[in-house]
Amino acid sequence: MLTYIVRRVLIGSVTLLLITVVVYALIRHMPGTPLTAAMTEMDPSKKLNPEDYERMRRAYGLDKPWYSAYFVWLGNVLRFDLGQSFAHKQPVTRVIGERLGPTLALSVSSLVLMYLLSIPLGLYSTARSGAPDERAISLLLYMLYSFPTFVAALLLQMTFAQYFDLLPLYHMHDDLEVYQQLSPAGKTWDLFKHALLPTACETYGGLAYYSRFIRANMMEVIRQDYVRTARAKGVGEARVVLVHAFRNTLIPLVTMVGLTLPSLLGGSVIIERIFVWPGIGNLFFDSITARDYPVIMCLTLVFSLLTLAGTLLADVLYAVVDPRVSYS
Amino acid sequence: MSTVPVDPAETLAVDMVDRLAPASRGFWGEAWRRYRRRPMAMIALGYVVLLTLVAIFAPAIAGTKPIAVHYKGHWYFPALGYVYREWENPIFQQDRFRQIYPKNLEKKDPESWALWPPVYQDPYRRVREDEWPGQPANPSGVAGHPNRWNLLGTTQAGIDVFAQMVHGTRVALLVGFVSMGIAATIGIVLGALAGYLGGWVDMLLSRFIELIMCIPTLVLILALIAVLEKPTIWHIMAVIGATGWTGIARLTRAEFLKLRHIDFVTAAEAVGVGQGRIMFRYILPNALAPILVPVTFGIASAILTESALSFLGVGAPPPNPSWGKLLDAARGNPLQLWWLVVFPGAAIFLAVLAYNLIGEGLQEATDPRLRGGR
Repeated sequence: MLTYIVRRVLIGSVTLLLITVVVYALIRHMPGTPLTAAMTEMDPSKKLNPEDYERMRRAYGLDKPWYSAYFVWLGNVLRFDLGQSFAHKQPVTRVIGERLGPTLALSVSSLVLMYLLSIPLGLYSTARSGAPDERAISLLLYMLYSFPTFVAALLLQMTFAQYFDLLPLYHMHDDLEVYQQLSPAGKTWDLFKHALLPTACETYGGLAYYSRFIRANMMEVIRQDYVRTARAKGVGEARVVLVHAFRNTLIPLVTMVGLTLPSLLGGSVIIERIFVWPGIGNLFFDSITARDYPVIMCLTLVFSLLTLAGTLLADVLYAVVDPRVSYS
Repeated sequence: MSTVPVDPAETLAVDMVDRLAPASRGFWGEAWRRYRRRPMAMIALGYVVLLTLVAIFAPAIAGTKPIAVHYKGHWYFPALGYVYREWENPIFQQDRFRQIYPKNLEKKDPESWALWPPVYQDPYRRVREDEWPGQPANPSGVAGHPNRWNLLGTTQAGIDVFAQMVHGTRVALLVGFVSMGIAATIGIVLGALAGYLGGWVDMLLSRFIELIMCIPTLVLILALIAVLEKPTIWHIMAVIGATGWTGIARLTRAEFLKLRHIDFVTAAEAVGVGQGRIMFRYILPNALAPILVPVTFGIASAILTESALSFLGVGAPPPNPSWGKLLDAARGNPLQLWWLVVFPGAAIFLAVLAYNLIGEGLQEATDPRLRGGR
């Protein structure tokens, strides 16, 4: 097991290195530089004069070809220096750190909701398999699964924020002056109201997917002989489903946790953009348009690391929960 | 053949079997029979056929150019200009039509005769007052809700939504087919090479697949689009295809690993069939069914990706009508522009749902493990 993990980590670090090379090459080949991208946003009369431009280019290492700039970047990363954001004029770690909280607030709550709701839903539809209400739920879940999040977000904004005027349209909290005068309870309530719609958008797709996943696994298990035996000896239906069958479908479910790791931090670019949520997804999109190389690279590094770690975690968990699986 | 002596009893037996057992339908015939039994999958297939027809005949459904026109003694088909600009005969430009056909046809050749699309609306520009006799100018801004002349409303700029959606169908369907065609080709070729050749080829290709899988798709897509500088809709399709093949490659590899030691492959190798032929003529047809399922789901997600990109403002460049772009126009004030949310949203949803249902139907029809049971 240990040798397996060590081998995977070694292969993973090579993959990670290659990913950073590919992404660095790609973003350096995008037309424009952080300097020109920032200039087009400012008014044209404030254009940098050529000497200043040249000086800044050198200072940021933009005068070097991408491969030598890459090695400079890599050397800094290995010394735990992720660089300065061009657009925010702050260390990259701080820029990302500020956005981490809002994104985690959305993704963690939606993940918890997803598990809390999908397990009972999946179990219920197994128990009532074939009944009209189960058919209706399955159809509904299937439609939700295919429903584009951006359409759902707009529809939710239309109904709850605009038509009924119950919830705010976007942003994470009220205007800063109003927000800062609220009591702690008032602040929480305000954040809660703002987070409700984006969380709902981030949850429903996964909810539909997980419930169907649980039901599919349960349907496989429920046909097994030991379940029939349990029923034959007079175990109640609830106990059969929960204790005898469900416990045996936990294996694939546990490994799924590992695979959700990257999405936890990745956030959803689309949802964060629609709801003007100050999270990682929004930061990511903005950094690409602003050509903010250090931020893009750092986010790529984090995403790839999480993806690799997530798959490794899934495989290891698989061996932990299922004694039949071993990697030696 | 006839000279070989045949045991009469055997001929009789073969004859009996032939008469008693119905002809074998073959794998795909059997799969189609199973597929047909699923009403939802059949409805979905019908819907995709309908969309295809709409996409093909879009210029004949909504447009401001006549489908066929008899002008100065010749027949022309200006509506084809919607498909490809060059196909609109230059004579109308020389005669200074300026894209306004109805009045100019009458003015410049009173004898002319034209067959018009049922809806006189253009997906690229605003229709003005009395362009078509008695038809008012398209409303603009928030006043463009659905009305008699604009069945599904207009955008803020006054361009008809129905016309844009009908013409946008072509983009949506093409995106699905072209990008998944690219993805399937890359995925099948790389997966086949890795699975069949094994060894260091497999090692290298597997690492490469893993590499692409780990790069966040959106980084890859956004960066590639940015590198292209002036992307056309074809570039977008290529980018979606070039980033969406990893799942197909892994599945193909697994299927090839499974099949490459089966007797018919060994037999073909023993006879000296070339490697390329074995991979693509012998093994691939047997591995096609499980590969086709993720391809179908991939079409759904390609349509979703394209509309999401258009929605984020990095999709197809402006003149191309796209469902996602209509949705984008409703951002910030969805309630007042509800028709820009509901109709394009429904179109995207139904197309994605249809492809997902087809994929599921295909899976249930071709996967022997899912047969029986119910």
